[in-house]
Amino acid sequence: MLEEAGFVDVTIGPAFDTFGGAGGENNARAFDVYGYAFIARKPSINKEGNHHGKR
Amino acid sequence: MDHDLPVDPDTLREQVRTKYREVATHPDRSFHFHTGRPLAARLGYDTATVDSFPDRAVESYAGVANPFELRRLEPGERVVDVGSGAGFDSFIAASQVGVSGAVVGVDMTDEMLAKSTATAVQLGLGHVDFRKGLAEAMPVEDGWADVVISNGVINLSVDKRAVFDEIHRVLRPGGVLQFADIANGRPVPPEALRDVDLWTG
Repeated sequence: MLEEAGFVDVTIGPAFDTFGGAGGENNARAFDVYGYAFIARKPSINKEGNHHGKR
Repeated sequence: MDHDLPVDPDTLREQVRTKYREVATHPDRSFHFHTGRPLAARLGYDTATVDSFPDRAVESYAGVANPFELRRLEPGERVVDVGSGAGFDSFIAASQVGVSGAVVGVDMTDEMLAKSTATAVQLGLGHVDFRKGLAEAMPVEDGWADVVISNGVINLSVDKRAVFDEIHRVLRPGGVLQFADIANGRPVPPEALRDVDLWTG
């Protein structure tokens, strides 16, 4: 979805056990839910006005 | 919006407001997620920075990972924090960009905005501004931001594509989106997706 919205260079960090030991742990375990850090970039524009990076 | 949504957006927003109103005003209560300093430590935030904050800046923190893990912000950058809550990540951002930068936190819950604004005054952070708005329609001009951050918020929007389109709008060309959120490794059944209670619990 990030790339569909026009972002490029998408990177995802390692999983965090966000809900471990919390009340929501059972639901999290049921659907294998973890927290992640994400990073992505909006393409820059070159001198011709074109976006750098694939969409 | 050109696609079917599993739950009514206004109903979900009200449910989210109710939940996070309680996190703002009664952070000592037990929630289905971790909160406060123990959570910040669990997610690997810089200890010295978190320790320098007063309790009111940290106690309502309810993030799901660390949006600064993959990239530290640079001095002078202009940052938008989508769903800024009580302001914890905005204050971290403010410490990284310094007074030559600027941070705009956007949140839809009045109690969170009141808390974050008062804490910013207490901390003397003149380069941080909290504004009321939705993730899908932020009160930020086109291309203003060098960086957009967010933490555990986009999963609470029923129209995630609209949120990403809005983030794309407020970022300058070449700008960076660095955010934290949850993702599921197993598919969620359609009937569960239509249960609005499961979205916040």
